[in-house]
Amino acid sequence: MIWKTAWKNVWRNRVRSLVVIASVTIGIFGGVFAVAVMNGAIEQRVDSALNNEISHIHINHPGFRDNYDIHLTIPDLDSVMGQLDETAEVKAVSPRIIISGMANTASKSAGVQIVGIDPSLEKSVVDLHEEIIPGTGDFFETASRYHLAFIGQDLAKQLNIIRYVIDEQTISELRESKIPEATVEKLVPFTGERFHSEEDFEKEVKAVLAPGELEQYGRLIREKAWSFSERTRMTLTFLDGDQVQTGAVFRIAGIFDIKNTVFEMSTVMVKKDVLAGLAGLTENDAHKLIIRLEDMEQAKAVSSLLSKKFPHLEVLGWKEIQPDLALMTDLVQQFYAVFMLIILAALAFGIVNTMLMVVLERTKELGMLTAIGMNKKRVFSMIMLESVFLSLIGGVVGMIVSHVLVLFTSSRGINFSQFEEGFEAMGYTSHIYPEINPGFFITVTILIILTGILSSVYPALKALKLDPAEALRTE
Amino acid sequence: MKILEIKNVHKIYNSSEVQVHAVNGVNLDFEKGEFSAIVGPSGSGKTTLLNMIGGLDSPTEGEIRVDQTNLAGLKSSRLIDFRMRHIGFVFQSYNLIPVLTAKENVEFIMNLQKWNKRERDKRTYELLEAVGLKDRAHSRPSKLSGGQQQRIAVARALASKPKFVLADEPTANLDTKSSENLLNIMEELNREEGITFIFSTHDQRVMKKARRVITLEDGRVISDEWKKKNGSS
Ligand SMILES: Nc1ncnc2c1ncn2[C@@H]1O[C@H](COP(=O)(O)OP(=O)(O)OP(=O)(O)O)[C@@H](O)[C@H]1O
Ligand SMILES: [Mg+2]
Repeated sequence: MIWKTAWKNVWRNRVRSLVVIASVTIGIFGGVFAVAVMNGAIEQRVDSALNNEISHIHINHPGFRDNYDIHLTIPDLDSVMGQLDETAEVKAVSPRIIISGMANTASKSAGVQIVGIDPSLEKSVVDLHEEIIPGTGDFFETASRYHLAFIGQDLAKQLNIIRYVIDEQTISELRESKIPEATVEKLVPFTGERFHSEEDFEKEVKAVLAPGELEQYGRLIREKAWSFSERTRMTLTFLDGDQVQTGAVFRIAGIFDIKNTVFEMSTVMVKKDVLAGLAGLTENDAHKLIIRLEDMEQAKAVSSLLSKKFPHLEVLGWKEIQPDLALMTDLVQQFYAVFMLIILAALAFGIVNTMLMVVLERTKELGMLTAIGMNKKRVFSMIMLESVFLSLIGGVVGMIVSHVLVLFTSSRGINFSQFEEGFEAMGYTSHIYPEINPGFFITVTILIILTGILSSVYPALKALKLDPAEALRTE
Repeated sequence: MKILEIKNVHKIYNSSEVQVHAVNGVNLDFEKGEFSAIVGPSGSGKTTLLNMIGGLDSPTEGEIRVDQTNLAGLKSSRLIDFRMRHIGFVFQSYNLIPVLTAKENVEFIMNLQKWNKRERDKRTYELLEAVGLKDRAHSRPSKLSGGQQQRIAVARALASKPKFVLADEPTANLDTKSSENLLNIMEELNREEGITFIFSTHDQRVMKKARRVITLEDGRVISDEWKKKNGSS
C-alpha cells in the first residue's frame, strides 16, 4: 500500500516529476557520455602508443637511456634473445639500433632518432607498417638499390618531402569534386605553382577564398594539392662509434601517419644492417629489444620476471617507458570519480529541494495520515520511496540513453576534426570512439540509487517532525 | 458503559506573547452509542478538545481515558497505533488521499493492519454500501462532490471498528443538502450499528440532529443537555 501510494504520489505533480526525472537523465547522460569520450580517447591513445610506438616491454643496457651512447649495446645479445624465446608470455622480439642524428633535404633539416630495425621482426612487435599513407610507398618491401628510410608525415612536411602543388591535374580533379565551379576558378591562377610548406599553401589559399568556402572545402583542396614525389632523397647524418661524423643518402620508403606529432617528427626507421654498417656496429649489436607480449595486462609481471632474469640489463614495462600515459590512465580514473560526484551532488540538491516542496505542500495530508494511524516508519518510507522512484526512473532512463548513444557512437566514432591539430599535437587522434566499461556503468547506477535514497532522508525527517494537530490546523 | 472519560482537562497554549487557556477545566463522560455534538462560538475550544480526545494533542493538565486507557500513558508510537485501532477521525477537509480511489482510501487502514484481501474487500464494500457510494468505489476523490468525499471519510473512519468516531466540523464545507445527507447517514450508522459519534459544529440544523449537545465557551462547558428520545426537543 505504501509502495503503491508513493508511486502514485510521484505522478501527482506530473510536470515537476518529469522535470526532476529529465534533469537526472540529462545529468547521468552528460556524465557518462563525457566520461566515455575521454575514456575512448585515452584508450585509443594507449592502444596507438602500444601498437605503433612502444609495444609492451623494452630491454636495454642500464646506461643507454641517459645519453644514447652508441657503445652501450646489449651484451651477449644471442643468449638474451634465446632466453626471451623460451619465455611463454613473450610473443615476439625485435632488436633495434638507435642513434641520434640529423635528417636533411635540399632545403630543410631536423633532429631525429635514427632507428635501425629488421623489418620482418619489427612487424611482429608494432603495427607501424599498417599506418602507411596510401600511395607513399611501403614498409621496406620493394627491393631497391638505394638505402631506404621510413618516416612520419609531420617530418615529411617539415622537410618539404610532402609539398603542395596546384597543377592542371589538381584543377581538373577539383572540378570533378563537389566543389562549386566558382570556388575552383579562384584557384586556377595558382596553376603550376608549388608551395614549400603547408603554411605557405594555406596562407595563399586563404587569401583568395572566402572564409565560408575555406571552412567547407579547405580540407578537400588540401588533399587534392597534396603531393609527394616517390623516392625523394634525404640525408641522414650522425656521429659513429669513433665520434666521427658520418651519414648517407636515403630515399623515402614510405610515410606513416599515426596522429602523433612528436613521434612522427622524431622517428626515422632504416634497415638495421645498413645503420650498423654506417655506424661501425655489427649485425649482432642492438641497443634495445622491443618485446610484444601475448597479453598487455601481463606487462608488469613479465617485466619484473625479466629483470630478475637479466640483472645486468634495464627492463621497462610500458608504464615505465611512457609514465605520462600511465599517469594519465590512473589520474583520469580519479577525474571520472570527481566528475560523477559533482553530477550526483547536483542531483542530490535537486531531489532534496523537490522533496522538501512535496512535504511542505502536503503538510495537511501528512497530518491527516498520522492522525488516522500511519506511523512514523511508514510516513518516512513513503517519502523515501517517492524520491527513490524519481531518481530510479531518471537514473535508468539516463543509463539507457547513454548506453544507446555510447553504443551507437562507439562503432562509428565522433569526429572532432576542427580540433585535429590540437589533438595530434598531444598524440591523440581527433576521431574518437567513446568507450565505457560495464563496471563504471554499474557503479554509476548504484550511486544514483544511493544518492536518491540519501537525499530523501532529510525531507523525510522533516515529514516526521510534523505534529498532526498543528498540521491539520494549517491552511 | 463509559467509553470516554474527561477529567478536569486543561489546555494552555503558550504562544510567544500571550497565554491562551483554550480548554479550561472540562469534565465529561461519554457512553457507548452516543450521538453527541460539541458546539460553541469560534475559538471556544472545540477543536482543541476533540484533538485531545483523539490523542492528537495532549492536555496541559487533567486526564483522558478511552475505555480505561489513559492516553497520557502511551508513548508516541503506541499512541499512533491506538488511534489507528480504536479511534475514527473525520476532518473538515483533506480527509482523503487524492491519488487513491474511494475504495483504496477506505481500505487504507485495513491495509496498514494487514487484513487479508477477502475480509478487506468484504468490509470495504459493506462500508461503501452503508454510506451509499458503492457505485463510486473506483473514483478518485477529485471526481467526487464535497458531500461524497465526507461520506467516504466516514466509511474510512469506521474501517477498523473504532470505539468512537470524532468529527470536527464535518459539514463546515458542505451545502445544506449535503450536510443533511451526511448527518442522516451518521445517524443511521449510530442507530443501526450502535456507532458512537462525537462531532463539533456551528450549524443549527446539524446540532438539532444530536441527542446530546455540549456547549463550550472560553474553554469551559456551559451546558450539557440531553434530548428526550424520539422527541423533537
Ligand atoms: N497551536 C495553538 N497555539 C496557540 N493558540 C492556539 C493554538 N491552537 C488553538 N489556539 C487557540 O485556542 C483557542 C481555541 O481554539 P479552537 O481551535 O479549539 O477553537 P474552536 O472552537 O475549534 O474554533 P472554531 O470554531 O473557529 O474552529 C483559540 O483562541 C485559538 O486561537
Ligand atoms: Mg475548530
